[in-house]
Amino acid sequence: MRLAGLGWVTPLGSTLDGVWEKLQAGESAAAKSLGQGPGEKGLEGFPVPQEVSAEASRHPRLRRSSAISRFAVVAGLAALHDAAVELDEASAGRTALVFAISNGGVIYTKRFFHEIVQSGAQTASPLLFPETVFNAPASHLAAILGITGASYTLVGDGAVGLLALRMAEDLMMVNPELDRCLVVGAEELDWLLCDAYRRWRLLRAAPPIAPFAQVAHGTILSEGAGAVLVAREGEAVEIEQIHPGGNFARQRELAGQLEAIARDLAPNDSVDLFLASANGTFIDAAERSVAAKHFPKAAVYTMKPAVGESVAASGIWQTICAVLALRRQELPPLLGIPKGFGLTTARKPPGEAWRRAVVSTCGLNQQVAALTLRI
Amino acid sequence: MNRQRNEKPSRVAVVAAGVVSPLGAGLEATRRALREARDCISPVTRFSVAQCRCTTAGQVDDRWLAEVVPNDRKARRLHRVSRMMITALQELLAQAPDFRPDLVVVGTTSGGMSFGEQYYRALQQPDVQTRQVPSWIANYPPQKAAIDALEASGLAAPCQVIANACASGNNAIGHAFECIRSGRYERILAGGYDALSELVFVGFDSLQAATPEKCRPFDRQRSGLVLGEGGALLALETLELARARGADVLGEITGYGISTDNHHLTQPHPSGIGPRRAMERALASAGRAPNEIDYVNAHGTATPFNDAAEGRAIIELLGPVPVSSTKGMMGHSLGGAGAIEAVITLLALRHGLLPANLNFRAGDPDLALEIVANEPRTAGDARVALSNSFGFGGTNATIVLETPEDLAA
Repeated sequence: MRLAGLGWVTPLGSTLDGVWEKLQAGESAAAKSLGQGPGEKGLEGFPVPQEVSAEASRHPRLRRSSAISRFAVVAGLAALHDAAVELDEASAGRTALVFAISNGGVIYTKRFFHEIVQSGAQTASPLLFPETVFNAPASHLAAILGITGASYTLVGDGAVGLLALRMAEDLMMVNPELDRCLVVGAEELDWLLCDAYRRWRLLRAAPPIAPFAQVAHGTILSEGAGAVLVAREGEAVEIEQIHPGGNFARQRELAGQLEAIARDLAPNDSVDLFLASANGTFIDAAERSVAAKHFPKAAVYTMKPAVGESVAASGIWQTICAVLALRRQELPPLLGIPKGFGLTTARKPPGEAWRRAVVSTCGLNQQVAALTLRI
Repeated sequence: MNRQRNEKPSRVAVVAAGVVSPLGAGLEATRRALREARDCISPVTRFSVAQCRCTTAGQVDDRWLAEVVPNDRKARRLHRVSRMMITALQELLAQAPDFRPDLVVVGTTSGGMSFGEQYYRALQQPDVQTRQVPSWIANYPPQKAAIDALEASGLAAPCQVIANACASGNNAIGHAFECIRSGRYERILAGGYDALSELVFVGFDSLQAATPEKCRPFDRQRSGLVLGEGGALLALETLELARARGADVLGEITGYGISTDNHHLTQPHPSGIGPRRAMERALASAGRAPNEIDYVNAHGTATPFNDAAEGRAIIELLGPVPVSSTKGMMGHSLGGAGAIEAVITLLALRHGLLPANLNFRAGDPDLALEIVANEPRTAGDARVALSNSFGFGGTNATIVLETPEDLAA
């Protein structure tokens, strides 16, 4: 399978080149206070700049939709554009859609339930409820693209983006009539989400995210969408293998699960890049130990300090980041690197060109997945 | 796992199943309830419905779950939807103790939503009691029930958790079927689940999709659905492997069709094009002609729009064929519906008894359907059935289930 097109909406912007240049320049997104819940202090997150999805909100299908749907549509259309694919009725029939969602439409869900709690069920809005359903963003994008066949929304934790890519590969393998599959991961940001992650002891109140630190201080949430068009033919970056993933029962078991996946995926001396999901939480230690043991020569990078943790979108962002690094033979600087890190953080190939990358996504709620890309 | 596509498609057997629904816990309890055409709808007890039009639902009795879940500290923290899935998986593994899936594909719409509701309500209190909050948050995500069930049974497998609204369970079974048939996987655990939650209940009530009266699928005076809850799992395996180890085969999945109807987020296109495409694709996938279908387990929510669109599609595509919706008996369990109804359809074929479409009085004059009205119908020669599930977002899924003669061991 090939990655034929890429698109993203991130707190740093929404063009491939523009975001990549900011990452290369060592920029991180602007954090914003998200207001506060009852009795709580304000928490910060990385929002998407408002102008990014303004155009999408004019589409009739998206007039009442939440931000998550608009991000998803912008990223999905960008990936198709990047691949120079224009869908008509026939080609839409040979295109599948797979969405990855974790927190979903939390803004409308909160508003809907707030009405129930504050004023009773009689006041709950029938306009809000349909947008709270996990597959609402996929439904909007399918309608805009005219897709009448397979459309799936997968839910999960931070691993769900790669699990969606795996499902896309499954669909392509079992349905020879499919030409392509558009995979989109999307999330939106709200104080309620931040409050939940803080009470779950996984969030810090304000940036920076300190990746791979000895002590995990917590992550910062963000929002946006990532989209990749998986096709049988396309550009030079190939999806070599997508591991079906696994689950870990306890945090201390994560490293073992990730190690098992790493063993399945690649011999340790053939990986040039390790695109980690490290986000300032317990997953960093697991990825650090697996990278040191299995991919000692690989250059390690996580984009979370720059753009935050956007859960389902993050896995797709990481994949896009890996493609761009392989294409351009460069990595952005790893922000917030701890003293005595001990792993390679090279930004250019030391000698021979980078040819192979591992993307790792460790979720915060028991799921883990990884893939390898080759140029 | 991760094999290449078969030149010759594998046949896909159902070698075990487990089910928990308002009809009961387990295949035998479910079969008894179906035989008696039992009305399992009752007043909602889990939260206040005083301000809702609809006040009833199909509910799973927690005592059915407590019997089989160890009363340890971790089990107490689990959401009841996890306990439903643990119960269903234990039943399945009792039939197939050696079943080790390559993959788990399940469907849900809201998972442990009520934990999210408890967390939000706690936030509204002036002094938030925080002790339970991390546990609610950690056990609220929709994928948890599948992972918890695996863990409780000592199984390990990657999970694909589909949230395609009310079609999720059928999508999960259908996708699993395609993955095995193609040779990419050999054994998959497939199913679906959902538990009642206030947010979802009020959501359907706010849309006036839920009825204050009886749920009357395909009836002329149908006025809406009642919600339900539950879950079911099916152990899918290549028929070849199942036979090689002498497994008891409950039935066979032979076809799957999926379609997306882009008409509206919550309403099907009135022409029934979405359901029709799903059924057409399922028939093509199974290599079956319309006149070979012996029974249709309909989505049949009893909303005016759904039943009209589905009924029209059935009539136009299949002609006269026995049809029933079991939602009048047990409610609509959303992400669990497709899986529970797949089990019900397998039981119908295996025991030659088509389940009743409860609360039916008179058919819609525009829908000349052959409804299995109010009482189950003996149909010893029924071999091939469709099971439909449709959902918000215009997602439609149909699976074909069979008990062919050659399945006898």
